[in-house]
Order: sequence, then C-alpha cells, then structure tokens
Amino acid sequence: MVSARYDGGDLGLAEGLMFAIDVHLSDIAPGEILEVSSSNPGLEHELPAWCRGTGHRLVAVEPDGDRTLFHIERGARGSLMFADRPDLPLRAPDRAGGFATADWLTGLAGRVPERADPATGFAPRGATLEPGSPPFPYTELDRDRLWAQNVASLYDQATTQQWDAATDIEWDALPELPSHVERAVAQVMTHLAENEYAALYVPSKFIPRIHPHFTEVVMFLATQVVDEARHIEAFTKRALASGGELGLSAAITQRSLKSLLDQEDFSQASFLLSVLGEGAFLEYLSFIERYAPDPVTADVVRRARADESRHVAFGVEHARLFLASDPDRADVLRRAVEERAEFLSQTSGATPHVEEALVILAAGGTSPGALPDGIRAVRQLHETMHRRRVGRLRQLGFDERVANEISELHTANFM
Amino acid sequence: MIEMDRVMVGAVVYDPKVVPIWEGIREYFADAPVGMDFVLFSNYEAQVDALLAGRIDIAWNTNLAYIRTSFATGGDCRVLAMRDTDVAFFTTLVGRRGELASAADLAGTRLALGSADSAQAAIMPVHYLTAEGLDLGADVELVRFDSDVGKHGDTGRSERDALAAVLDGRADAAAIGLASWDVFVRSGDVPPERLQPFWTSPPYSHCNFTTLPTMDTDRSDAWVSHLKAMSWDIPEHRRILELEGLREWVGPVLAGYRDVFAAVEEQGIAARW
Repeated sequence: MVSARYDGGDLGLAEGLMFAIDVHLSDIAPGEILEVSSSNPGLEHELPAWCRGTGHRLVAVEPDGDRTLFHIERGARGSLMFADRPDLPLRAPDRAGGFATADWLTGLAGRVPERADPATGFAPRGATLEPGSPPFPYTELDRDRLWAQNVASLYDQATTQQWDAATDIEWDALPELPSHVERAVAQVMTHLAENEYAALYVPSKFIPRIHPHFTEVVMFLATQVVDEARHIEAFTKRALASGGELGLSAAITQRSLKSLLDQEDFSQASFLLSVLGEGAFLEYLSFIERYAPDPVTADVVRRARADESRHVAFGVEHARLFLASDPDRADVLRRAVEERAEFLSQTSGATPHVEEALVILAAGGTSPGALPDGIRAVRQLHETMHRRRVGRLRQLGFDERVANEISELHTANFM
Repeated sequence: MIEMDRVMVGAVVYDPKVVPIWEGIREYFADAPVGMDFVLFSNYEAQVDALLAGRIDIAWNTNLAYIRTSFATGGDCRVLAMRDTDVAFFTTLVGRRGELASAADLAGTRLALGSADSAQAAIMPVHYLTAEGLDLGADVELVRFDSDVGKHGDTGRSERDALAAVLDGRADAAAIGLASWDVFVRSGDVPPERLQPFWTSPPYSHCNFTTLPTMDTDRSDAWVSHLKAMSWDIPEHRRILELEGLREWVGPVLAGYRDVFAAVEEQGIAARW
C-alpha cells in the first residue's frame, strides 16, 4: 500500500532528489511506503545504498512506461530532516512596528521552562533535539532565578534605542572650560567609566552560565553589555575630548566593584548591580546632567541614563519574581548586601576626589560664594539616592526598616 | 565467573576517525564480561601477520585481508561478526551523464579502476565485468589509480581519483563502491549534473572480524555478544556506529565472500602487497 507519491522528474539523488525524498518520507509513518516516480536511469543504482545509509528500505522497483517506480518504506529509525512533532504553528502577529520579541512567546518556541535541561545545548527553544548531543556546562537553569516579566519588551526597547557615541554626540559643541572644571569633569567621567566596566563584566560573566532556553534574558543581558561598552566609550571620550587626561581610579572604588564581580549567584548579582547600583546611578547621572558645564557632557550622561533605566527595570522585575517564588529569599538578598558591606567596611566608605569633583561641578567652579551650594547639592544627591533606593526596595515588598537598613549598607561608591 | 583475558583487536588506520571509533568501542567494553583493547596498523598485511603470529586475537579485516587469513590458515579461521552494511556490498560504474547506459557500452572506452588491492574499486569490477563477457585490457582500456596501496581501498582516495579522471576526460567510466558513491553524493563532492551511475554489480561481502581457530570460544562468544548489543537508539553507541558506518552488528554471512574468493584466484592476486 502506497501512502504517498512523489514525481522526481529526471533528478539524480545529489541534484536535490534526496532532500525531496527525505521531506516526503517525514509526512508518512514508519512502515508506510513512499512511491517515487523517476526517469533518471542512475537512480536504480544509487537508491539502494542511499536507503541503507539513511535507515529506510527500498522494497520494490517497477518499470512504469519510460519511467521507474521506486517504493521506499520509511524506517523506524530512519534519518529525517523533519522530526515528528505536534503542529503548533507560530504566526507573527500583524501589527505595526514589526515582529516584537515578546510576540514569539506562543507556540513551542514560546514555552519558557520552569527548569531547563542542560543537555539541550545551543538548540533554540522549541527545536527538536537529536539524541546524542553533549551536555553543556550551564549552571543557571531555573526560571525563577533568571526571568523577568518584562524582559522581552526591554530587549526590544534596547535594540531600537541604541545610539552611536561617535556620531550622535555633538563633540564639536564642546567649549573650552576653566581647567579645574574640565579636570572635575574628567574625574567624574573616569569614575563613571570604571563603574561601567563592572556593569559590563558582571552580566558578561553570567551569560555563558545561563541556559539558552531563557533566551530573552541572554539577549537582554547582551544589550546591556553593548550599552555599557558604549558608555565606557562615551565617558572616556568625554574625559579626553578637551585634550585632558583621565582622573584617579581609587582603591575603594576598585574594591567595591570587585566585590560585585565576585558575586556567583545571578539573582544576588543582579540585585546588587542593577537594583541598588544602577538604581543609584540613575540619580548620579541626573545630577551630572543638571550641573553639566557644557552641552556635550549633559548629552552623554542623559543618553547613558536612558539605557541604565532599562537595566534597572530588568533588575527590579527579576527581583520581584525571585522574591515572589519563596518568602525566605528576601533574607538571601539582604545577606548579600550585608556580606558585601562587611567586605567594604575594612576601608573608609568615601571616595573623596569624586565628591570633590561633584562639588566643583555643582558649584560651577571654585568661587567662594558658590561652594557651599555645591556641597549642599552633593549632600542632597546622597539623600535622593537613599530615598529612591528605599522606594524601590519597598516596591519589592521589603518593609521600611529593612529597606532603610539595606539602603544604608549599600556602598558609598554608588555602584 | 572466571575472569577472561581481555581481547586484543587489530584495526587499520585508513582515516583519523579510526582512533575515536576504537577508543569508543574500548570504552563501551569497559563494563563487559570480557574486556578489550586495540592495536592500530598502517596496512592490512601487517595486521594479518600479527593475527597469524598471535599478537592480536581478532582482526577487523577487509574482504581481501580475510581471504589472505583464510588461505594462510587452510580455511580454518573464523568470522565472528560484520556490519549490516558489509553483508551486501556493491560496485557501481559511473560515467559522464547520458553517455553510457550498460556494461556492454564499455567496449572501446577507458575504465578507471581504483587501488589494485581494493575489492570494490578494482578486484570485483574486473571479476564481474569479465563474467559479463568483456575482455578487459583488450575491449576496454584500463586506467589504474593505485593510490594508498596496503589499505585495501579504505581511504576512498583511489575512487575519487577515478571519478576525477572521468570528469576531466582521462577515462570514460569509473568503478567505485556504491557506498562510496553514496558518501560522495551526500557530501556534495560530485557534480551531479555531470556524472551518473549506469551499472551495479551483484552483492558481495565486505569487512569482518576474523579470528584464528585457536581463540577460546567462550571468550569470542562473550566479545561478540557484547559487540552486538550496541544499539542505534543509545546516543553513545550511535556516535560510534555512525562513524564506523553501520546501524547494527550482525553475524557472518560467508556466502557473500564466494565471489571474492573466486576473483582473487582468477586474477592471481598476490599473497602479499
């Protein structure tokens, strides 16, 4: 009994016929017969070996006028291009603005697992895996330790909001500033750049540990890495743009950033970096934009801040999911903050040359009349950072006392 | 249970993949009732000598190497197992597309043969085409490509050389193994619009595991039954089976060697290369 027919014209196996046979065999069940009609005289010689090599069976060869009919029985273990699988078609929703990443969360590819299987390697979510793939060394396998509800749309925002630090900034508009103001800018840019290195290295460290079935998280973190690379570029260029030099990189700052890089748990690292660190950075960048002595500095930090707000949004949403799945996890995050504070307590908390640079920026220079205002502005910055941090922690469900404690333990380095 | 000495198997290195194949098989035997190890040879003559001298227990032989062993042991050597793909091996003739349609069309043309010690690319086509009434060397000019002699055609190099000769007009047809043709077709190594097979030989047997009559049957039985338990459905086994080109190990089918014995005698194939 023939279950399917295919007219192979005069094609030889290597001219595409073997692919056609493969595709048509995958439409029938093992044990069923595909009849291939052909006028190619070489086929009767090459088809027996092909069938044997692919695990199918050539059960009959019959003349049919000037053609030949080949009956191929699909083998139970035959190699096929299309594996049997439930038919769950994914259609791109017809909507203005293209095919959003969030919209692929339907069909097989949209099934985000609670726990991923490391043996699926680099197979895209929804693909059928051939047995025999090697296990991959992923360590981050649990949805509640990686995912954030908004991650797909944050990725889409990130890809549309990329900018070019070489051409989008009006570098020509940079005026000549008084040398101590320019030096203060360079010091702040140095501090921003070193912090951004940490913000680049920390997610980079986790990407290869995350199972690719949490692909939206991997893709989002990849945009974060690119964002930070661009920020490093922009901050460093701003420091050097007026012919100046980079400022001091303080040991206390390095110590603070290394303690971020030392984190081995994704959720804890994300909480420390994105919720607390980058959260504080939003206020830091707003402050610099407000007191920027020139339009170029203001533009650079404004653009960086827009990117950072996506990173904070991911961190907050991830922390929300992480905390929701187990009430004891609030203690896990709190302990991470405490341990880091303990590590940092061995040195003094302040970064004096950064504080000094910020005061000079806020005062617009060193005029005696303006300096007290500068000091007040910087003090206010710290207060705002603390208040907003407490606000974010309260949103995540920490009670006021714990939120205050955590905020106060957070590093004086901002990140 | 009495512990049996591990079985030493010989194999010829015709390709770098031979190493992972045998490392894989040895690993598979690690928890078998009888252990095994392997020795690699650069050519079949050395392997057959080692088997006859008792330096290895079992040789993974080509049909020609098996026949040599059989001659040397007065027909007493034993065949233990084969690949499913060894049971019915074929030689095919490939010509330029549309030029030749049957073996009879070879009269007055040039036929490219592979290595003189390759059953599929030289010995068996000569045997079967002679049986079809062609006077090779007289009616048909033979163009021989004796590359990699000693490896009994396993490398496939002489078959590629023969096909290249057909493509550039130095020959009109090439005799190659049908399994090799399938490999070339699937890997995209042949230009399909220019070449076409036009004749297939009767089936004959290819490789087998050969041992001497002196090997203890408990040991050989234990080794063979563990070998045959390799399964296509188990990924670790399948990796090795795919590399070695089979889906399952099967028992010996000696009838398939009758034509090869006849061909070797007719052609006076030397006892050594």
